[in-house]
Amino acid sequence: MGIIAIQSYLIISLFLFLMGIFTTISRKNIIGIFMGIELILNSSALNFAAFSRFSAHNLEGQLFSIFIIVIAAAEAAIALALMLSIYRRFGDIDADKLDSLKG
Amino acid sequence: MNVEMKEIVFFGVAAMTMVPCFFVAFSRNILHSAFALFFTFLGASGLYFFLDADFLALVQLIIYIGGVLVLLLFAILLTKNIDNIRSTNAVAAKRAAAAGVVTAAMFGVILYAFLASGWPFRHSGAGQYPAVTTKALGKLLLTTYLLPFEAISILLLAVLIGSLVIANRSVK
Repeated sequence: MGIIAIQSYLIISLFLFLMGIFTTISRKNIIGIFMGIELILNSSALNFAAFSRFSAHNLEGQLFSIFIIVIAAAEAAIALALMLSIYRRFGDIDADKLDSLKG
Repeated sequence: MNVEMKEIVFFGVAAMTMVPCFFVAFSRNILHSAFALFFTFLGASGLYFFLDADFLALVQLIIYIGGVLVLLLFAILLTKNIDNIRSTNAVAAKRAAAAGVVTAAMFGVILYAFLASGWPFRHSGAGQYPAVTTKALGKLLLTTYLLPFEAISILLLAVLIGSLVIANRSVK
């Protein structure tokens, strides 16, 4: 059981987090930015579950993972409703072009 | 032999989680990004199985792939012109350079913290990890963590109503 340890989980989730940060900053499309945020949330949930399994040996970390997943789903629903609304109003979802506060 | 096999599968699942991230981050076509995200979520579910977190793995499959990804595809198809999908996922060049610098710096800092920490991963009050997590999780949710459970159910109700209101608002 050398490889399946908390260190490999931390490395995987660090990778997911950094990729999410990069995607979130560099994209122009709001949907692309949203994908980056999903990657970040996924990495944090993975970290909670890994610490719950290998460090604390109980289930409370997994509860936090479940709450993170639920919040990610709620955020997805709200974000996509907002995207549809923005697209209908502005005709575009390019984050650089949405600079008018009044609408 | 059995352990070897398990580790090979773990390597495969980890690669399936990490490699599509490059497509999510660098692909020009946003549909390709979404499909790459599918493999990342699938790989994360496999990683939960390796953590003996069976309930969490199934929740990941159902909510992320069945819910978030489908919503994402709907949003892509409803908001963008399919004709010019090749240029739908443009990268802002200046911000991409800045993001590269930020990401590299964060990687350096976190790696330094990781190596300098001396692996403080042993927990003093370690409990007994159950073989099947679903029953224990349900017990925890309905006893110790009842208040967050109820709060999050109210959050979901608010999201349900709010997203309907936002998406239905007509343009004046």
